[in-house]
Amino acid sequence: MGRAEPAAFVTRLGRSAFVAVILILCVTPFLLVFAISFGEKIEGAAWAWGFEFTNYKRFFVGADYPNTTSLLYLKFLWFSLYYAMFASILAVATSFPFVWLMTRQSRRAQTCWLVFFLASLTLSEVFVVMGWDILLSNRSGLPALFKEIGITTWLKESGWLDVLRTWGIASPRNVRFKPTEFATILTMSYLVWPYAVILLYPPLSKINNELIEAARTMGAGPVTVVRTIVLPMVRKPLVGTTLLLFVFLLGTYVTIAVFAAPDKSTLSISVYEAVRGATLNAPFGSAQAIILLITAAIILVLGRIAFLPDEGRR
Amino acid sequence: MMGIFVSRLFMGIIAVWIAFPILVVCAAALNGGRTMFFPPEDPTLLRFAEFFVTEEVWIRSLRNSLIIAFGGAALAVMAAWPIAYWLWRKADGFSKILAGLASMPFALPPIVFGVGLVFFWGYSGSLGHIWSGIISHAALFVALPLTTLSIGLQGIDRSHMDAAATMGASEATAFRTIILPQMLPFTASGFFFAMVLSFNEFIVVFFVSASAYSTVTVQIFNSLRNGFTPTMAVGAITFIVTSILIFSMIARFGNLPQLLGADNAK
Repeated sequence: MGRAEPAAFVTRLGRSAFVAVILILCVTPFLLVFAISFGEKIEGAAWAWGFEFTNYKRFFVGADYPNTTSLLYLKFLWFSLYYAMFASILAVATSFPFVWLMTRQSRRAQTCWLVFFLASLTLSEVFVVMGWDILLSNRSGLPALFKEIGITTWLKESGWLDVLRTWGIASPRNVRFKPTEFATILTMSYLVWPYAVILLYPPLSKINNELIEAARTMGAGPVTVVRTIVLPMVRKPLVGTTLLLFVFLLGTYVTIAVFAAPDKSTLSISVYEAVRGATLNAPFGSAQAIILLITAAIILVLGRIAFLPDEGRR
Repeated sequence: MMGIFVSRLFMGIIAVWIAFPILVVCAAALNGGRTMFFPPEDPTLLRFAEFFVTEEVWIRSLRNSLIIAFGGAALAVMAAWPIAYWLWRKADGFSKILAGLASMPFALPPIVFGVGLVFFWGYSGSLGHIWSGIISHAALFVALPLTTLSIGLQGIDRSHMDAAATMGASEATAFRTIILPQMLPFTASGFFFAMVLSFNEFIVVFFVSASAYSTVTVQIFNSLRNGFTPTMAVGAITFIVTSILIFSMIARFGNLPQLLGADNAK
């Protein structure tokens, strides 16, 4: 008895210490970002604590408001949202039919596909961008290949090059993918494609074949089956996946740094510049990060209300 | 018949679209010259020697990547075990909140966590030390072993625990003899998931690392601005091969479809 009590005390102490460590490591960084976003920059030095909304004001209307108004950072935010939205929708729309077909295959085939996608999923953004950069660069890759095998000449003669130019993916001489929104969105959607597969896999694999076969025997074609049975069953995971990928893509860094034109850059670039890069204004960088986070939260909530009405009402 | 053909074709196109950039990177590693070309010019295996043997920068950053990935994943598993066990045994509000908070770094955009870590480590004066990178990754990826362990624990029959208790086994004994053996594959997969993701992680390391140490991903991003060299592609190949090996191992020794949430009844 005399020995059990100190032992219990030590256990409890250890448990509290463990919880404290988890909280300090996983939560404090976020609290610091939040707190510092209200601080102020000291010229030539670092920054000081404070409680003012200067950084937030600067984000929405510019530092010199009301004399002049600058919407530069709102534009960055807009591009963050724009790229992330297009890329996530594109990824989910193309991966859904694929995952559906995949889950109809044998267990063994599914495992092989999963290994394939997991390997490409974990592949660093850096490598993905590197691959696409080689493929889309003007000197190597597709533009050079097009020129070599005569597609460029054909495009010029048939007038398609002018059409591509109005889409912004060609110069007068050849197709041009860098820097374009096209390349940015393509790479970002590639980046999350394996995630879309992994996220859509569980709900789609749970739809059993008897249901499908029943519909087929009653004369429904495969497309009708997907449209009338499968789609309604997985509407929730589809919306959920899109929203999750969207939030994930809000923080994309490497793709934007390599493929987006500087005037179409995003918040993640300017956050890095402010915190560790050239402009060095940690409080302002924090404010931008917080705004990014709040925007993500708002969109998650709005998305749920808009697309999952029964979920939102609960 | 037509439908099967169309669907096979579609899946094949997808496989090509996913594999193509990766193959391009791999092929670029064979370039003989200093610039990246695809298809490679004057193919050679010299770049592999550069990456693994002769070029100091790459050897050092590969070593850092390995240390951070291994250390971070090990710490993440160690932190995840008590939380997952707690969640399974008690399932009280406190353990749920703790699990939620521990998953926060992984669930929120990593750039925000990266900014926070800059302040966090800056305060303790350890920004730019390699161990701060290790701990950062442990915190970032604790959610992964937490998930695999929770999936594994859900599969354990609680009646076995009751039987052990009736027969007089202490909780520690029951843990060692019933839970631990069944949980080894899930622990291993959690560890490997965390390790592979840490190995490939860029943005958080980008924030917390300093010139004193950099990982392969950061090193590649830095040299990416100065134009590609084929040596970088060797790094990419190393990473891809490692990932495929590790996931094949998880698939071989664990149940990959179950881990990823497929219906296991079949």
